[in-house]
Amino acid sequence: MKIKLPKFTPWMAWIGGLVVVIAAGVAAGLMVFWKGLSLTNLTDMVPWGLWITIDLSSIAMSAGAFSLCAVVYLLGLKRYQAVARTATFIGLIGYTMAVLTLLLDIGRPDRFWHAMIYWNKHSLLWEVTMCVTLYLAVLALEAMPIFAGFEWLHSHWPKLAEKMSRVHHYAPYLAIAGLALSMLHQSSLGALYGVLKARPLWYRPDISVLFIISAIAGGMALTVFASMLSARLTRHANVENSILDRVSFIIGWVLVVYLYFRFWDVLSMTYTYEPGRTEGLRLLTSGPLSFNFWISEILLGAVVPIILLLNKRTRALPLWRMLAMALVVGGVVAYRWDTNLSGLLIILSYLPGEPTVAYTAYRPSLTELLTGAGIVSYGLLAFSLGVRYLKVVDHNLAKAHAEEPKVVEAIPVTGD
Amino acid sequence: MSDIKINRRDFIKLTVAGVTVLAGSQIFRRAQALETLTSNGRQWAMVIDQSKCTGCDYCTLACRAHNDIPPEISWNVVSKTGTVGAQDVYTPRPCMQCAHAPCVDVCPVRASSYRPDGIVKMDYDRCIGCRYCEIACPYGARSFNWKQFDGPNPSVPEWGQPEVSRRPRGVVEKCSFCYQRIDRGLALGLTPGIDEDATPACAVVCPVGARQFGDLNDPESNVSKLLHGRTSYRLREDLGTSPRVYYLSATEEPQS
Repeated sequence: MKIKLPKFTPWMAWIGGLVVVIAAGVAAGLMVFWKGLSLTNLTDMVPWGLWITIDLSSIAMSAGAFSLCAVVYLLGLKRYQAVARTATFIGLIGYTMAVLTLLLDIGRPDRFWHAMIYWNKHSLLWEVTMCVTLYLAVLALEAMPIFAGFEWLHSHWPKLAEKMSRVHHYAPYLAIAGLALSMLHQSSLGALYGVLKARPLWYRPDISVLFIISAIAGGMALTVFASMLSARLTRHANVENSILDRVSFIIGWVLVVYLYFRFWDVLSMTYTYEPGRTEGLRLLTSGPLSFNFWISEILLGAVVPIILLLNKRTRALPLWRMLAMALVVGGVVAYRWDTNLSGLLIILSYLPGEPTVAYTAYRPSLTELLTGAGIVSYGLLAFSLGVRYLKVVDHNLAKAHAEEPKVVEAIPVTGD
Repeated sequence: MSDIKINRRDFIKLTVAGVTVLAGSQIFRRAQALETLTSNGRQWAMVIDQSKCTGCDYCTLACRAHNDIPPEISWNVVSKTGTVGAQDVYTPRPCMQCAHAPCVDVCPVRASSYRPDGIVKMDYDRCIGCRYCEIACPYGARSFNWKQFDGPNPSVPEWGQPEVSRRPRGVVEKCSFCYQRIDRGLALGLTPGIDEDATPACAVVCPVGARQFGDLNDPESNVSKLLHGRTSYRLREDLGTSPRVYYLSATEEPQS
């Protein structure tokens, strides 16, 4: 007797690879819970590092959900519904990634619920925690109809699936809640840094604005990129090119707005010497973060994608459009990394006399990298399974839905 | 019609009642706030005389022993900050116990709070270890417990005996103005700043008397007299944090 092994497919290799990285991440994460944060390279000087960047980035990458849901259900542009569906699913994954990272990052994960009980209404971090929790609930409800499409659920629990898909009727209300909560915390994540007077580089009003604009661009870009890549790689996904083309065009203009604000933001800081701020800016523009700033953030993260996306010819070419989207995502992640570190690597003296400045350094430890890779792989795995089993990238599905009422109307005609 | 009249009357009654309750609660809150502000009139402050400080670091060691702090953490830091004449000048830095403390504002769970006597207090059972307060503090006065402090404290018993419990791994800690000593001392009828058992350990151990402690609202206290007699300054006053630690600048001749 010969046991017939299933054929080894690229899909299995992909899932297998992700599972291996996730396993390594889980092992490293358990070590963190067991041994504590001494396994990281974080210090009292740089208490926030790679994990906070993953946290900020995954929330930014989830911004496609609220912006596209608002476009569909509040502006009434129904043809973007299928893209909003993908973005909602990505949002749900992104926020669970953020929660996982936060659990690792706080010193007492057993007390994660304290913010729900002990309110400090003055704290932006409290506000962010509340908004993230509530928005996660909104996303779970918004994603309910997606999960209702799971075939296994349909055949085993048809009534439950029916109930879950009915949540879709509340989509406009959920879109309002999602918009309000996201407007709050997407900007507050920037304001978190912006309100700290002790850190002169951060202490400015527009980080919050830059954070939400870049999140909208990054979130929509990831949605378009993931949709196009899925459609190329698997028959389980299919996209309507004209819709993605419009979304890409919008992303291009959002990036223009972002670059405009960023230009004045940075330029205004170059006048007169201010201790701590000037050094922080130098760190970005000519110091160790300068490659990240000029190349990853500005050139590749904004200027090149603007050209590629606002130029009709390059936007129409799938590979160029996908490249632009990947660059936008990379640029937003680089911006989060730079924002966090540029403020922390500068230590402004509190001692009397002329304020002096000292520099410190940070490089993530292996544990931080492994857990980070594990969390990102979890996101990739969840999305891959979603594409295959929940059809999260399926622009035909939405078309079929849109045609449904016509079919219903047609019945009495045939009855005659 | 009569129904409407009764409803209207009820409405007015309800409105009046509501306004009364609201006003009452506001007055009550004001009264509470006033009590918080005065706290029997006491507002603790520390005055550090830099013309006396020799940088011996005894304060840091006594602090480690009395508050059971691991060797990697210092609630109090002494830095050399220049010279006056032939004399080195030092700036010791405990927690500033700011009246407008950034750490209290940013904490997502209210683990940092103001005591009625002005001390910024940490609730170690509530802290979730997010370290936002560390980032917000302009004075670097906060330290995170990256690992569990196990084993004996090298500063004990030479520099004193622990008076508070060790903080667990994963929370942020900082100087408390030794409020365990203040509270216990007051309960025993002692005067903080005068009686050693009611005064912060760093002020007690200082061999040259560079640290004075007392009540700002008592014109006869050590700190009030020193601040009246000499010019003082506070660290990073430009930030508007209003620290409760005052410094007397070093001069060529040590002043009494």
